[in-house]
Amino acid sequence: MKDILDRFSRITADPYKFVSDWKESNKKKVIGCFPMDIPEEIVHAADMLPVVIWRGNEPVTWGHAHLTTYNCGLVRSFIDDAVKGKLGFMDGMILWRQCLQVHELPYIIETNVHPAYFSYLYLPATFPGEVSRNFAVEEFERMKRGLEEFGGNTITVEALNRSIEIYNRNRSLLRKLYDLRRKNPGVLKAKEVLAIVQSSMLMPKEDHNKLLEDLLMNIEKKEASTDGKKKVVLTGSLCQTPQAAILDLIEDLGMVVVDDDMYIGTRYFDNDVEVTANPMQSFADRYFKPTPPSATKGDWTVHWGDSVTDTVRRNHADGVISLLIKFCPPHLCYYPDVKMRLREAEIPEVLIEVEHEMVSLENTRTRLQSFIESIGGL
Amino acid sequence: MEKEYKLNRLETTKLMGPMVDKHWAELRTAKERGERVGWCSGPMFIFPYAMDMKCHFMAGYAAYCAGRGAAEQVLEAAESVGELLDTCSYHRLHMGMAAAIEKNIPVKEEVLLPMPDLLIIGRFCTEMSHYAEGLYRRYSTPVVAVDMPPPQDKEDIARLEKYVEGQIRGSLIPEIERVCGRPFDYDRMSEILSVLKQACTLRNECWEFAKVNPTPWTLWDYGVSIAPIFYMMGKPESVTYYTKLRDELAERVEKKIPVMLPDGENYRLYWDSWLPWAFLGKIIRSFTKFGAVPICGRYPWEFFDHPEDIEPEPDPVRNWVQLYYTKSHIAYHASTKGGIDLISKLVEDYSIDGLVMLASKTCRFWQGQVPIINHIEKKYGIPGILLEIDQADASFYSDAQVDTRLQALFEMIDGRRRVI
Repeated sequence: MKDILDRFSRITADPYKFVSDWKESNKKKVIGCFPMDIPEEIVHAADMLPVVIWRGNEPVTWGHAHLTTYNCGLVRSFIDDAVKGKLGFMDGMILWRQCLQVHELPYIIETNVHPAYFSYLYLPATFPGEVSRNFAVEEFERMKRGLEEFGGNTITVEALNRSIEIYNRNRSLLRKLYDLRRKNPGVLKAKEVLAIVQSSMLMPKEDHNKLLEDLLMNIEKKEASTDGKKKVVLTGSLCQTPQAAILDLIEDLGMVVVDDDMYIGTRYFDNDVEVTANPMQSFADRYFKPTPPSATKGDWTVHWGDSVTDTVRRNHADGVISLLIKFCPPHLCYYPDVKMRLREAEIPEVLIEVEHEMVSLENTRTRLQSFIESIGGL
Repeated sequence: MEKEYKLNRLETTKLMGPMVDKHWAELRTAKERGERVGWCSGPMFIFPYAMDMKCHFMAGYAAYCAGRGAAEQVLEAAESVGELLDTCSYHRLHMGMAAAIEKNIPVKEEVLLPMPDLLIIGRFCTEMSHYAEGLYRRYSTPVVAVDMPPPQDKEDIARLEKYVEGQIRGSLIPEIERVCGRPFDYDRMSEILSVLKQACTLRNECWEFAKVNPTPWTLWDYGVSIAPIFYMMGKPESVTYYTKLRDELAERVEKKIPVMLPDGENYRLYWDSWLPWAFLGKIIRSFTKFGAVPICGRYPWEFFDHPEDIEPEPDPVRNWVQLYYTKSHIAYHASTKGGIDLISKLVEDYSIDGLVMLASKTCRFWQGQVPIINHIEKKYGIPGILLEIDQADASFYSDAQVDTRLQALFEMIDGRRRVI
């Protein structure tokens, strides 16, 4: 079990090395996909490796020659990596219109990075009506055609459905992992869970599935004691990974993470894609699912606060830690409503702002200490 | 002794205040007269206008609120209900206003509006959707929405146009019909477009005068004069206003009366992004002391810069969408590539010396400001700066930053002039 966890940890600590080594060994194309809703299965079915674009491992320097400092960490870090040439192993990149900050990227990428393949998708807001759904299908079709041209191969329905099955298998294994953690909180550290999910975004899913199967067998046998620790749910952290140091801090202060709705978490694997004769429709079906509520998709018919409340109730959790990526407009706009709903439900909640650059851990510690005291810990 | 510059205000723009006040007063009292009220974001306001709904316009409200000196109060009201400082200040103004109504938070009476019968989203920018989603969650106000992405490439324009038109016909118009209880008035929409075409044609004649050096007017004056295009869209007053403005500008040019006294502007500038309504006076003073005038900009040029493309018949709905996409490219200009196309043309047409980009701390709608500065500098040899402030929240404003950056810009322009 330790070996597998170490492997996931090594991959996520240096995704650049892992992905470029994999490409070298496998002689296949690598396509970077911007979080959170690009159907990686289409890339996979084109016999290329889709990797979810990640927040880099160094402070942003060159990137600030292209963007202001008050863009989110992922956008700044991605551009910084790209213009420094650190992403040269990516043969292609696919971005989509999920927030205003991503709008900035296509021109900078096209004029400074020149990837062999580049595509920008206008995935629609999930507003009611057939027009939006049909447009999503057209965008997925366009993505498929672009990859066919780039790869020189037709992507068949059979290949797409094979990929969907492999991805659904991965989703179901990750869901099982989370179920095990819910039943046995503390069985894995929060940063280990983060590394498991993030490595799924970087590795071929077939390899990740094998490792996960082995890991799950071991976890099932493992006992963990929460020793009266307070159970918390993590919410937020759209698109980018929170710092592992903050997750450690949460645990060091006497809390145990029982569940989350982060993108590098349940949001990544919550819904399957149905295997059908029309995979593009199936991708649209998944994209249009109203749950988990998404701050980026313009859906006003469901309430993120209700979803977090349900997660807390289901897990008998003691409180919620909101991880807000600094300068994330969709989350900024939605956050007060989530907070209000949690207050109505009498669920304690604390807001922690996270950044690409390390925020002051001492400030975070103080906030979290106050929080755990307020929920009866310490 | 250093030259003292002073702006020579236009007489016509003084007419604007009462016209704007009338618009907001009519909106405030609409429900008393049994009229429907729509709150609009993005470019969808013509549709409620065509149904005689009284209509609020998201960015317009922010301008009004700031102009009334109420922005700070309303932003404080927003903070009291949990809004965070980095959130779009237009979003916060609306959440603050709604909270002030609900919780009786004291703010200036004239910036309180009736809650709408319908929230109409034009998701030109994603926040234009988020504010309505938030209002729905808090107050259950009915919402109808149209997603209208700015195209990143010219090749994307036609299919995005089709997507937007489909939503207007499939969702927006049926919902407005439901709220108003009658069929959509296509004839009225055509009439509005006819008057808009006249107003914009006259407005463009006014723009022509800004090509003269010294210029008889500034972008600040045009900022004040935008209102007839949207608050008075389709009303004869809009044509009357621009006729008067054109005549005054023609007279100034004929008599060689510059807007910048004593003898014309020292620097002709391009202005990017929103106008900073909450501290426009401060900004104007900062520019004026250097004899600098903004002449043109992407946002102010968004309001139908090609009136020849406005075709009220036979299909006003299609024409409206075409103005944003395949014909006038208004939506494309918000993107970096489209911005470069438009700004290059403005730089050439208006003999621009430098670029000033309002890089809003809470809004990222105007794309590519840094790459655009680099591109324009390389192509035309003119410099540009970012002003890192906000369009409505004065807490992000720093006199020292604005002054220092403007000084740097003018030194760069002077340096290049010496070399030439």
